[in-house]
Amino acid sequence: MTLAAGHPGFMSPTGVEIAFVLVGIATLGAALVTVTTKQLVHAALWLVVALGGFAVEYLLLTAEFIAWVQVLIYVGSVVVLLLFGLMLTKAPIGRSPDADSGNGWVALVVAVAAAATLVWVVVDAFRSTWVDLGGAAQGSAKVTGAILFRHWVLPFEALSVLLLAALVGAIVLSKRGAPARRSLLSKSEALPMRGVPSERKARES
Amino acid sequence: MTGTIHSLWTTAADSATPLDKIPTPKIEYAQLSPVLIVFGAAVLGILVEALLPRRSRYIAQLGVSVTGLAAAFAAIVALAADGYASAKSHIAAMGAVAVDGPALFLQGTIVLVALVAAFTFAERRLDPLAHGRRVDSFAAQGSTVPGSEQEKRAVRAGFTTTEVFPLLLFAVGGMMIFPAANDLLTLFVSLEVFSLPLYLLCALARRHRLLSQEAAVKYFLLGAFSSAILLFGVALLYGYAGTISYGGIADVISGTAKMTPALANTTANDSLLLIGGAMVVVGLLFKVAAVPFHMWTPDVYQGAPTPVTGFMAAATKVAAFGALLRLLYVVLPGIRWDWRPVMWGVAIATMVIGAIIAVTQTDVKRLLAYSSIAHAGFILAGVIALSPDGVSSVLFYLAAYSFVTLGAFAVVTLVRDAGGEATHLSRWAGLGRRSPLVAAVFAVFLLAFAGIPLTSGFAGKFAVFKAAAQGGAVPLVIIGVISSAIAAFFYIRVIVLMFFSEPQPGGPSVAVPSALTSTAIAAGVAVTLALGVAPQYFLDLAGKASVFVR
Repeated sequence: MTLAAGHPGFMSPTGVEIAFVLVGIATLGAALVTVTTKQLVHAALWLVVALGGFAVEYLLLTAEFIAWVQVLIYVGSVVVLLLFGLMLTKAPIGRSPDADSGNGWVALVVAVAAAATLVWVVVDAFRSTWVDLGGAAQGSAKVTGAILFRHWVLPFEALSVLLLAALVGAIVLSKRGAPARRSLLSKSEALPMRGVPSERKARES
Repeated sequence: MTGTIHSLWTTAADSATPLDKIPTPKIEYAQLSPVLIVFGAAVLGILVEALLPRRSRYIAQLGVSVTGLAAAFAAIVALAADGYASAKSHIAAMGAVAVDGPALFLQGTIVLVALVAAFTFAERRLDPLAHGRRVDSFAAQGSTVPGSEQEKRAVRAGFTTTEVFPLLLFAVGGMMIFPAANDLLTLFVSLEVFSLPLYLLCALARRHRLLSQEAAVKYFLLGAFSSAILLFGVALLYGYAGTISYGGIADVISGTAKMTPALANTTANDSLLLIGGAMVVVGLLFKVAAVPFHMWTPDVYQGAPTPVTGFMAAATKVAAFGALLRLLYVVLPGIRWDWRPVMWGVAIATMVIGAIIAVTQTDVKRLLAYSSIAHAGFILAGVIALSPDGVSSVLFYLAAYSFVTLGAFAVVTLVRDAGGEATHLSRWAGLGRRSPLVAAVFAVFLLAFAGIPLTSGFAGKFAVFKAAAQGGAVPLVIIGVISSAIAAFFYIRVIVLMFFSEPQPGGPSVAVPSALTSTAIAAGVAVTLALGVAPQYFLDLAGKASVFVR
């Protein structure tokens, strides 16, 4: 961590800092709406705003690579997965007042405790540390890429092998090859059965 | 040491060099060839799956797997003969992996185990013919609901899951990198590379499919949990040392690293190091199935297809102990006074609890699972010795144990009744009268597990306990011998059951295997007896291979 020699005022209101705080407030608001709204789809969409807000914060901290990763992975795939999940499970669109599990207060306590811990840890760890964002580039895609493809090239390639194995495995577990006369089957047969086979009995205690 | 400490901090600091061109990383392809061959064979297997017609896939896959593994073993032997196990050992691939004695020895063991396991994977004569076709131990189609009409259709259509061979090879490749990994990132990635195919293979049993799927889900969830713990530990260690290369962390711990203000700040407090080191070790102890991280073992061993169980029990243990050895001997020797008492406790708990719970088991596969837990405890005793003898004895033990396990599970696949393998112990009563050869072979494996002289188990246990005693862990050795005695009780009980009780009417029959499983079992017996009767040559080999490069 590059420590700058001088020590600027702790809350000197530069433009970047003002933007940071404003985006932070917007992100916090979006997060609050996400957990309080009664409509599942709205919650998912507010989550996009909250996660996008994080990406903007990363950008403001000059960590552009992490910002794009945040957009790609969280905004791009996690939220899409969430929406697909809502779609595929035929969850009701619109207000769903009965979706409240009644654990709201417990969740609130846990959330506040977790937030308090995190804030305390961050404040305690970086109390008066001043990181000069204008110094040597650290979180840029350029630096990350150069290190990734030079020092970490073997783990990187091993990861690609992992993804290939995962791909093959997913196909093995989910492929439904069609036996020759599939089209002749009645519809009820083609549906997966839900009965519990007797195999359970073979289970050792 | 390559001299470069791959830290984002240091690299960012000297980024005055233009980054427009990334210098080509220096990769020693020849020294990585064993791993590259195995991964190449795996990719070839996938191409076979994609391009060849269904009928010819089985033969092609078996050929690709066996050829690839044999070539990888030849490459390992060539590297060892070239001196990479001793004089020329060094850190390769930009500091990612070590090419040294323990790495080559363990890679050789893993490849041989996988070669034998590939034979048991390919066995097709044990099950009765299904619709005129020979079938193996794997589900016709993984996605079908167990017991459904759809499943029957898939069997009728003659589907086979020949993808198990590429998955096996992927797992083997990951396992080969795992004990050679020389930084924590490579360690984590290779852990995932070998775990993921194993989760998948567990779910593909042809018989008892619900049990198999339950085993896979359990293994996946607990495995993901342990990976997360390991990853968290890696993050904490990085926070402590500012680097994740093994040598770099060891330098920071021993205080020989160049001190910078940031480093002085983080190393002022040891808690990051202790918690991070503990979490990484916990992640590895999950994989070696040490108590209290053993809960998944019996269920997974029982539910997985038996050839997979044999492979997993043997090869995972080799790879995970290899990584544990390197971590404790290369990265964390500086804080040995902190981790040794804890590892003592883990070793004692593993030996005693594994042996005692095994006594109450009534299923052969669960019995072998608890026995593997107890054996993990014995091996840990050697790991704790923290001496060259400790390393060589653990290497020897791993080689001996893996072949015994592989052989024992191969025998389990032979004893069958109408519902598939008859694994309940009561069904094994009188097996010695019905088929003396199979029972005798299983008895050899059980005696080796128990550590009876003239089997590899005795030589291994003797070496491990001797190293532990010389390392000052005499109480540990005493507890080890006592739990060996407890363990011997249930091994002998199975032998008595097989030879001295009346066969049940309508008991299981012993299937006549093809040359594939016969070869696997014969290899197991041969290694067990060879390492038991003449252990010295192999002990010397392990002794020569016991120096870690830093």
